Amino acid sequence: MLSSDERLVERCLHGDDSAWEGIVNTYGRRIYNLSYRYSSRTDEAEDLTQEIFIRVYQNLKSFRTDAGSFHNWILKVGRNLIIDRYRQARRFQQSAGTEEMETMNLKDDKVPNPQRAAEQAEAARFLREGLQKLSPELKEAIILRDLEGMPYQEIASLLSIPEGTVKSRINRGRLELAKLLSKRRVQMGS
Amino acid sequence: MECPNIEGRLSEYAERSLPPEEMAQVAEHLHACSSCSTLLEEMRIILLTCKSFPSLDLDVNLLERILLRTSGRPRTRTWREKLNEYIVRPLLTPRFAVGAVLSLLFISLTVTLVRPRVPVVASLVSPTEWIHRLDRGVQGIYAEGLRAYDKKNEWQAQFTFLKNNVFHKLGFMIEQLDVPVQTNGKQKSGEPRQQQDKNPGQKSSMLLLPT
Repeated sequence: MLSSDERLVERCLHGDDSAWEGIVNTYGRRIYNLSYRYSSRTDEAEDLTQEIFIRVYQNLKSFRTDAGSFHNWILKVGRNLIIDRYRQARRFQQSAGTEEMETMNLKDDKVPNPQRAAEQAEAARFLREGLQKLSPELKEAIILRDLEGMPYQEIASLLSIPEGTVKSRINRGRLELAKLLSKRRVQMGS
Repeated sequence: MECPNIEGRLSEYAERSLPPEEMAQVAEHLHACSSCSTLLEEMRIILLTCKSFPSLDLDVNLLERILLRTSGRPRTRTWREKLNEYIVRPLLTPRFAVGAVLSLLFISLTVTLVRPRVPVVASLVSPTEWIHRLDRGVQGIYAEGLRAYDKKNEWQAQFTFLKNNVFHKLGFMIEQLDVPVQTNGKQKSGEPRQQQDKNPGQKSSMLLLPT
């Protein structure tokens, strides 16, 4: 029994363009946000999203239903491309701290007042800056677990590492961020 | 447990995924160690911040670019987008605004010129008025028919009167003229004579009519 994603892929492989549009509609936002978490820049995230989907479209034939879900496959393709880019150009370090505040275009419209919105924007900025200071492995683990909300098993499958390593990386990443936050508070207090 | 050991379990403790025994041990340490409990507090803040981290919406232009660069087919528009694209957006253009103003001017001018004739025009095109007209026409035809019938009756009465009068007068004249003829026994012609001979007492008015 094929899932809805797999049916879409099958239709897409048979030349149905509307099925491909369905795939892009389903995963576009997810891939875009994943790219944004890694790059912290909307323009880079857009470029990455575009390239990821081009790669997915070109490699759609290589997807095998017995090797896992399409959801995992597309995330793996996206993650691999992002990491490749990272390794090639070291763009993330270069762009660290240059990100403009993303106060517009936010999904969360439940912000009660401007003060709360400003606090959230400040926290988001701290998190972005903190993530840039982490090593790539820790950053990736934090992004996948705490920002994307993926389960440990899925992260382990995606990164092709043991689950224990995933947990360890996540714990270390969180600890580093917590220490950064603590240091920041000390600096602000003094 | 020492602080480094606690730090290694802090993440799982925050997620409450440690076994109960270890949860108790970590909790005991945190109760006694202020630096570790502060670290846990900061970690919880980090987790909360991660949960409220902004999620961006995918721009439709990006979606369009992706589709054009992959399948080459443009994005399918929803009916709302079509409405916006073909109706709402054109309505908000300066060109439409100028057109609308000119149209309003034209309409107001036309109304000003036509208004005095509006009741006449309205009566010409009104269905009620058409029914009334039709009704009046039928009534007129019926009245003409009645008049013609009355005229015919009148003529008929006059003719009858005249006819009766003429016949009456003629009858009277005939009666006046139809008196017994006193003959002196002379026969004027053959046939009447024979009749007279046959019916000597019968009166013949025909013979008395003037020739």
